[in-house]
Amino acid sequence: MDVFYEAATRVDCRPIMEWKNSGRPVVGYTCSYTPAEIFYAAGILPVRLRGIETDGMEVGDTYFGPFICSFPKCILQLAGKGKFSFLDGAIITPGCDGMRRLDECWRKAGEDYEGIVPDYFYYFDVPHKSENHGMDWYLEELRLLVKSIEDHFHVEITDEKLLNAIAVFNKGRRLLRELEDLRSKDDVVVSGTDAFAAAVAGTVMPREEYTRYLEGWLSDLKERKASFSDGKKRIMVVGSVSDEIDLFELIEARKTAVVVAENLCFGIRYEGNEIPETGDPMASLAAHYLGGSVCPRMFGKYKERLQMLKERILRSGADGLIMQNIRFCDLHGAENALFERDLEALGIPCLRVEREYGPHIDAGRMRLRIGAFLERLSVAGKPAGGVQRRTA
Amino acid sequence: MRPEIREYNYDWMMAGTLNAAGALANGTKKETEMTWRYIPYFSGVARAFINAGPPGIAFLELGARYYQNILNAHRDGKKIAATTFCNTPSILYAMGVVPATFEVLTAIGALVWKRGMFDYMDYCCETGMPETSCSSQRGALGAVLAGLSEKIDFIVCDTPGVCDTNANAFAFASAYMDKPFYQLNYPSVLGDERSQKYHIDDYKEMIRFIEEQSGKKLDYDQLGTVLAEVDKQDALTADMEDMLMLTPTPVPPIYTIMIYAGRFCFSGHPEYTRLLEIMVDTTRKRAAAGVPGLSAGEEKLRVVMCYIDHYTVDMNFYHYFEERGIAHTGSILTRNFRDGNKYVADLPGTSYSIDTSSPDAMLDSIAQMNARMPMVRSIRGPYDKQGMWLEETLACAKLYQADCIIYNGTPGCRNTWGMLKPFARDLEKHGYPVHIMNDDGFDDRVESWDATRERLDEFFNVRGLL
Repeated sequence: MDVFYEAATRVDCRPIMEWKNSGRPVVGYTCSYTPAEIFYAAGILPVRLRGIETDGMEVGDTYFGPFICSFPKCILQLAGKGKFSFLDGAIITPGCDGMRRLDECWRKAGEDYEGIVPDYFYYFDVPHKSENHGMDWYLEELRLLVKSIEDHFHVEITDEKLLNAIAVFNKGRRLLRELEDLRSKDDVVVSGTDAFAAAVAGTVMPREEYTRYLEGWLSDLKERKASFSDGKKRIMVVGSVSDEIDLFELIEARKTAVVVAENLCFGIRYEGNEIPETGDPMASLAAHYLGGSVCPRMFGKYKERLQMLKERILRSGADGLIMQNIRFCDLHGAENALFERDLEALGIPCLRVEREYGPHIDAGRMRLRIGAFLERLSVAGKPAGGVQRRTA
Repeated sequence: MRPEIREYNYDWMMAGTLNAAGALANGTKKETEMTWRYIPYFSGVARAFINAGPPGIAFLELGARYYQNILNAHRDGKKIAATTFCNTPSILYAMGVVPATFEVLTAIGALVWKRGMFDYMDYCCETGMPETSCSSQRGALGAVLAGLSEKIDFIVCDTPGVCDTNANAFAFASAYMDKPFYQLNYPSVLGDERSQKYHIDDYKEMIRFIEEQSGKKLDYDQLGTVLAEVDKQDALTADMEDMLMLTPTPVPPIYTIMIYAGRFCFSGHPEYTRLLEIMVDTTRKRAAAGVPGLSAGEEKLRVVMCYIDHYTVDMNFYHYFEERGIAHTGSILTRNFRDGNKYVADLPGTSYSIDTSSPDAMLDSIAQMNARMPMVRSIRGPYDKQGMWLEETLACAKLYQADCIIYNGTPGCRNTWGMLKPFARDLEKHGYPVHIMNDDGFDDRVESWDATRERLDEFFNVRGLL
């Protein structure tokens, strides 16, 4: 687990720096709609950009306005402080309006802080719809991205390399699925904090190394007898982007709860389905990454997301949901309200809470809210609204 | 929501208010003067429009008609579509659907009520929308969600890819009320062949959706008629824009809101053409007579509003411009980006044309026009890329001979606040003093008008502009 924790809690973690020191390029990306397989196929380490280890906001606040979510601000803060100096490139995606403006803010900060903008700085235009022309647009964006990487890094990204990358990533997806199965059992042998750390680590570690560690850890888990879930409430965490292990620690610290699933931008949400390992790899990547509509940025797909959430609740046997949104994240804030309305009507208790990303300035408030919610669950007992557990 | 607010249908109340305001001009001078006493919080608005003469009165009547159309839609067998200001209603008129444009409805309420749209905005939050969402939708949407307006039948918006918080409000409304929803989605670029094709493909899908919801096929003859009307309106708007460039401009500050509110509500509709004709006629006469747009006479300063105006109680913002001798030379909302307009000369690919020679030409025209509506044109991509917000603002500031540039918006505007600081810095590098207003254009609780006015005064004083 140590390797996962180190990767999940440090920006310049050992696996990234080892890769970098071996002379191979590293490219950061900001959104889960960016297929990491393309970079793997190019011999580049794809690293999901994060805002952990931020200890101030003077750079983020200088370029972003006051009404912007703290996640992109934290990324900009780290960039301004030179914490991303290992990057050879960065991909900015219009995941949401805050994240898309990282493009200008980072470039303009680069006029004041020398050397903070990677040589390769690319705007990857992901549409908000996956049907017909939306999918065509995205597919063309993928082709343009590939061409751009090939030109800049002097590499060739063939279909064979892409299919191989898909196969390598699929192996990790299958292992994460096994981890989900373990978390869904009556006796949960892994804490939510550990499971989330393992999932987050996968977004920054070289894939083969990650898969190797994950395989070994899963073997150990399968032998484990001790249960983390005895007498505890089973919690699912949903909402705004989070890669914060301490949020999970906060929930599980009370010893009355175990996080059995999450539906977050980091985590296992995107890893559930495998990508076809034959056929046109670009079409397969496009269908996988754009086709799912798992993020509220895909407007008008609420019912699909509600259905997906219900299935995950049933599968994980969650007793209640903690729905968090980072302040100024309107997309998750509004969708959490709809989820709360519809899930509470089914007898599934929900906590809806707004918070800040980054340095845990509101940990005390969060602890209080979470504690009150867990007390509510204890009093209420198991949900009475007809939610039947599905055995994993 | 306060119980007494629930006693009234919002659309009916606003239609009545605007009807009464429009009728004020029909009374004697004494009667009109007496009326001000009874509408202390609305008198500034009513006075401003009535004193503006025939254009102002026509505008009040147009506003009343807009609400009446919504109120009468179902009785007349028409569907009501909730939509957004930057999605031209002309396609809805061509298809016999009545538009309910949330931002305009919010702005009108904010202008004419002492408490603005606070109760309705807050009701949205009661239903679960974050209070950080844009207030421009939350006002009218609150009335809809509370069941205090005519029931909408379906929703079309065109802000995904341009403004998350706008698109999110419509998506939320759709999910909350279980209403059919179509989103036009815009790429981050404009003017290249690929994005042009995307605009058309998406627009055709939207038409199919509206056909399905309204139960009527698009009648291309009707679309041709509507587009011909838009053609006339564009020419008249271009005349107004040209006259805004004159120094001193003969266009009063209040006219700017009439140009764009009319367009957002009645684009392609003959009533808006009539309003523009009256405005152009009146302004030409003023120009010929050498009468400046500002009632005080002297034009001390020329301002380009690079985003939107300020709409809270009693038209304080427009009165302020008048009092200080500041010419309002338009905002992102007033310009239509029709080909041939002066400011598009330096912005290749950003304009549209109208061609009614065939169904395909008409579809192309309306799709490309829609892609150049305010906001969806300017802030869809990185602000400093070709033809985007920076180039557009600089082109307008130059043509309209602006002394300074002012930003106003809402705290909900994630997309502009995400880049506003470097944007303002870049404008300053080009020599324009820039002021960022920190209020909410629709909600005085964020910053009182008094504080907003003081900050404006401070900016003009510190920068030596006034």
